[in-house]
Amino acid sequence: MTGNDTQRYKKIRIKILLSMLLVPLLPYIFGSAVGFVLGSRHIQSSTLASMNRIVGDHSRMVESFLAERLADLEFVADHFGFEALSDSANLSTVFENLQKHSPAFVDMGVFNRTGLHVAYQGPYELAGKNYADAPWFLEAKNKGVFISDIFLGVRNVPHFVIAVTRPLDDGFWILRATIDTQMFTKVVEQMRLGKTGEAYIINKGGVFQTQRRSGGELLETDPDAEDLLFAPADKNWVIRKDKQDDRYIYLFTWINNDQWLLVARQAMDDAFATLYRARNLVLLIALLGGGLITASTFYTTNRIINRIKESDQEQKRLNQQLVMAGRLAEIGEMSSGFAHEINNPLQIIRAETALMDSVVPGIKKACEGRAEEDMADLCDSLAQVQVQVDRCAQITSSILKFARQRDAVPEVIDLGGFVPEVLAMVSKKAEVEGIVLESSEPGLPVCVEADASQLQQVLLNLVNNAIHAVITRHGTSSRQGRVMVAVSRSGSEALVKVTDNGSGISQENLEKIFTPFFSTKPVGQGTGLGLSICYGIVESLGGHIEVESQINKQTTVTVHLPAS
Amino acid sequence: MEKMKILLVDDEERFLQTTKKLLEKKGIEAMTATGGEAALDILDTSIVHVVILDVKMPGMDGIETLRLIKSRHPLVEVIMLTGHATVESAVDGLKSGATDYVMKPCDINALIEKATEAFEKRRILEEKINMASARTFMKSPRKILEEGEK
Repeated sequence: MTGNDTQRYKKIRIKILLSMLLVPLLPYIFGSAVGFVLGSRHIQSSTLASMNRIVGDHSRMVESFLAERLADLEFVADHFGFEALSDSANLSTVFENLQKHSPAFVDMGVFNRTGLHVAYQGPYELAGKNYADAPWFLEAKNKGVFISDIFLGVRNVPHFVIAVTRPLDDGFWILRATIDTQMFTKVVEQMRLGKTGEAYIINKGGVFQTQRRSGGELLETDPDAEDLLFAPADKNWVIRKDKQDDRYIYLFTWINNDQWLLVARQAMDDAFATLYRARNLVLLIALLGGGLITASTFYTTNRIINRIKESDQEQKRLNQQLVMAGRLAEIGEMSSGFAHEINNPLQIIRAETALMDSVVPGIKKACEGRAEEDMADLCDSLAQVQVQVDRCAQITSSILKFARQRDAVPEVIDLGGFVPEVLAMVSKKAEVEGIVLESSEPGLPVCVEADASQLQQVLLNLVNNAIHAVITRHGTSSRQGRVMVAVSRSGSEALVKVTDNGSGISQENLEKIFTPFFSTKPVGQGTGLGLSICYGIVESLGGHIEVESQINKQTTVTVHLPAS
Repeated sequence: MEKMKILLVDDEERFLQTTKKLLEKKGIEAMTATGGEAALDILDTSIVHVVILDVKMPGMDGIETLRLIKSRHPLVEVIMLTGHATVESAVDGLKSGATDYVMKPCDINALIEKATEAFEKRRILEEKINMASARTFMKSPRKILEEGEK
């Protein structure tokens, strides 16, 4: 195969590969991508929805906790009133009862309208202190009911208070209670969300109102708060990276009259575990599918390329045969004209020698025994001229036979019967030369349509060649020579195999054996036309001849003919 | 017995000469012509029993010559001298009335043999003709009487 061909096959290969890969792969990739995106979106939104539901439930729970505490306080204020509660002993009894029912309360105090802590029940010494300027006092005074952010206050401990303002005469009084931040934190933390989910509260300034399990003490500022606090009103979730580059999803909702933000956060890997699993599965399937398509494309392409190569080679072989046949026809035509012309001078030479022959006796007589030796030489060379003319005549005759294969009379011939008949013609010769001539019979009749004399000529030529090759190798006395003729049928072809264990044909000569006038026999023993004639005949019958040979081992000539 | 007279027709002059000599040595009288026209001229003026006629000649070719000979001199035997490639022509020749054909290059003895055969054939044919014509001359007495009555 030439470099040109290799280049060409490469190009075809690339073209086929591209078209075969792109056509299925593009829609496949597109379909997979669309399915992937839609699927991801669906899983994401359903995950978000379920998270939202959990967070919503939780926020209602926290809200109701606060509302209950507020209701407790309002009940106490309304039920007992300023007078009763200003009495420390009374306050203590009420507080103890309240704490039994609701242990979240840490302390309780009563304030008059000047901000004076009139009565206090709890672990700190706060009675008598004035809170007129405390922010919670002002808020409670204005709003009537107030839940504060966490602050340090006079006691210098983080806490938050619930205050209820009630009218008294022409002024007001305030009942205040402090909530246990630890307990409140526990309430907020209660939410369960996967493995990494946690809930906490920040105020409008981003300050932690409850502790965060993963770090974040009370009164510290949440560094991530801004995104959440200033998120658009219709969006209640964001995704952020933390310091370790882990991504978290934050869901949040305002509670306590939009004073606090309840935040639930969960690691993305945890929250979207199903999504990621599905995504990986889809990717794996896509990769496998793509791999399969690619592999099958490569496989098919290789097969196509191999087919093309095979048919190219077949075509090349056919072309060679065509060229060969054309050359043979040309040579045949040329040589037949040439042989015909040669025949005329040969005719004259033959006539001349015949004349010489006829005058020799007269000369002999005239010489009366003189120059007898010269005379003998003359007669000898005259005889030789005649021999050589005969040889020429034989050559021209074979050439003309080779050139003329037109008036064939085709008939259906059963090779199984025909071959042995022909072999019988040469069996005597083979026997004399000490060669075993065998033929194998096909079980069934193998028929071809051919001219009997032509077919006979082909067979005789091949068998004679085989016999000659055997003699060349083994001589005539060793009795090791073997020529085998086998008839068989292979598909639509009738095969005649002539196998011998003779001298064989060299690789170099194999290419030339069908060329007219090519002969390996000594000068004068062969015209070099035998196989050319066989070739021409077999070709004209629509068949072909194959030759395989190993020097000094075995040669097989197979005649392929279309079976009828 | 009448002696065989042969006419050789071929475009090769040397072949004609040598073959003529050979034939004469064997005691056969031979004439030569180098072409179809010349052959026909000789046939018009001389007695010839067998014509040896080359198929392939320049000018009037063998087959044409054969047809003319057969139309003008039906009793003359013609042997075609043919090259291998012109066996078809020889077949044509046989169909057109040639007696036989000889393949080139031919042996003089083979040629003489075929010529002799042809001559024999012609002689037998001529005898038959002679017999037949003699019969027409020998009329029965009744016929002579009948004729005399007229």
